[in-house]
Amino acid sequence: MANVTIDKVIKRYGAAQVMHGVSVDIEDGEFVVLVGPSGCGKSTLLRMLAGLEEISDGTISIGGRVVNDVLPKERDIAMVFQSYALYPHKTVYDNIGFPLLMAKRSKAEIAEKVKGAAEILDLTKYLDRYPKELSGGQRQRVAMGRAIVRDPQVFLFDEPLSNLDAKLRVTMRIEIKELHQRLGTTIVYVTHDQVEAMTMADKIVVMRDGRVEQIGSPLDLYDNPVNTFVAGFIGSPSMNFVHGKIASDGSSRVFQSDSGLKLPLPQTTAAEGQAVTYGVRPECVRIGEGGVEMEIVAVEPTGSETQIFARSGSDLIDALVKERISARPGSKLGFVIDPEDVHLFDRKTGQHI
Amino acid sequence: MQSKRLGWILLAPTLVILFFFGVLPFIYVVYVSFHSWNPFAVNPEMVFNGADNFRKIVFDSAFLNSVGVTVMFVFFAVLSELIIGYFLAQAFMRDFPGKAIFRTIHTLPLIMAPIIVGSVWKLMTTPSIGIIPHYLDEWFGISMNIGTSAPAAFATIVIMDIWHWTPLVTLTLIAALVSLPQDPFEQAQIDGAGKRQIFWHITLPMIAPAVVATVFIRLMDALRTVDEVWMLTGGGPGSATRFVGVHIFKEVFPKTNYGYGSTISVIVLYLTIVSCWLLYVTMLAPRSKKD
Repeated sequence: MANVTIDKVIKRYGAAQVMHGVSVDIEDGEFVVLVGPSGCGKSTLLRMLAGLEEISDGTISIGGRVVNDVLPKERDIAMVFQSYALYPHKTVYDNIGFPLLMAKRSKAEIAEKVKGAAEILDLTKYLDRYPKELSGGQRQRVAMGRAIVRDPQVFLFDEPLSNLDAKLRVTMRIEIKELHQRLGTTIVYVTHDQVEAMTMADKIVVMRDGRVEQIGSPLDLYDNPVNTFVAGFIGSPSMNFVHGKIASDGSSRVFQSDSGLKLPLPQTTAAEGQAVTYGVRPECVRIGEGGVEMEIVAVEPTGSETQIFARSGSDLIDALVKERISARPGSKLGFVIDPEDVHLFDRKTGQHI
Repeated sequence: MQSKRLGWILLAPTLVILFFFGVLPFIYVVYVSFHSWNPFAVNPEMVFNGADNFRKIVFDSAFLNSVGVTVMFVFFAVLSELIIGYFLAQAFMRDFPGKAIFRTIHTLPLIMAPIIVGSVWKLMTTPSIGIIPHYLDEWFGISMNIGTSAPAAFATIVIMDIWHWTPLVTLTLIAALVSLPQDPFEQAQIDGAGKRQIFWHITLPMIAPAVVATVFIRLMDALRTVDEVWMLTGGGPGSATRFVGVHIFKEVFPKTNYGYGSTISVIVLYLTIVSCWLLYVTMLAPRSKKD
């Protein structure tokens, strides 16, 4: 087990710089998720951590040791690939035991550890099978087995669940989390799925275009996003954004959208007339008397909750409510927004005000 | 039914050609192998002599010697071609300046007819005019004469075969290497495998089907090598390079001993099939479960 320090890491491919000074501190035993849209550099960062990509500048240390020039096999890490990267010509037993064989452990020790891992992962029945004889979820578990027998300092996961179907993904998510609690090893996990990030992480690193946008606990990112990108990326369904400016409505100040929609404002330092982006999460929009009247575009009941899309002029608002709504598209409803739940962002820079 | 009949019609030309030029001659050779037949002798009649030819072959030291020489040749040539071919294939997997040109030049020997290869090498190795003996003498003081030295003649033929056929091995191995997924190799690095361990544990098992297929092709080709050797050494000096192909050729053409020549051909075919089968059973069959 070890802490990991990523310090001002830069990655260049020829003249193109794809990572611009990324710094992340990972505590010993922490479960850190790197999340972001494809092309944001999260996988590249993980591969640099693994030693599969060179670091152009900056340093990466694992357990206090700078590993920039250390070969992957000497970094004491284990990695699970999106494709699982099983050895097709080896049985499950040999796949899981391969790292131990490379470490020249005794046959008895290999047998003991492989069997132990197989028990944890419920693979005991499949030890003699070849990867092609396994289902996606089983392959996934073999890849994890191969990682845990090594008892490494750090686990690296590169989108390990994205090839699984939705139901299995939820199961595996829980299994990985359980595994983390049982082993207590530091985990760095890459995903593009913010739900995975929210549910599994101790700490989330949101990345975009080779930069870190925000680092924090899942709820911290949810409650206090630093900019529109993080606000829109974290949370599902994603946050409503309405563009407009701060206006005055008699004695008090309100938000006025470009198409004239007026919405309540929280306490803010923003000056009157300042161009802002108004953000509110769908689950913070309620239906009630005295709210803002909007026209219903669509109603999507899921049983446990109802998602309502409403329009006013060119502004679209998405609301997620517990009640079952019988309103038909075209009819009007009042929407209530608590000013406490509103996020205001600078319209130009996207930064939280 | 319609499509089935169409299939047979489309296949017909191939089947007819195969029958007349493959099956029929083969049956004829088997038939002739049970006869004593020298059409240019005083008595040109084909005389049935049962298994006499086959009995004779077991004690024919010239034939047994030719089998030994051939096996040695195949072993050295094919093994060297595999090793050199693998390293060349690995080299071509990387980028280096002039790669495209070098790759093209390197495949040129493949398109040359064996008889041409034989003549060119003869030109290069003939004492007094050949470039190879000349420089061997000038630089190392070694005198080389494939007309008199059996080891020199044998080695020259092995090297000539390597020169001629390594590009084929390189090409098939490049195809195999290119199609390999990258992830298991990266995984192996993380799992603690060094370069040599990656080769033995990952690369070789994963390209094994291609390697075996290549060995099949080269084995069958090498076992029936005739023209190059005929051109270069004529099987000599003595019987140092008298491979089975050359042996059959000499038995049938100068000696016009058609019956006995056919018997040797049948036996050589049998040996070829057996060695390929052995290769299949030992290398490919245990894998079929995995693929």
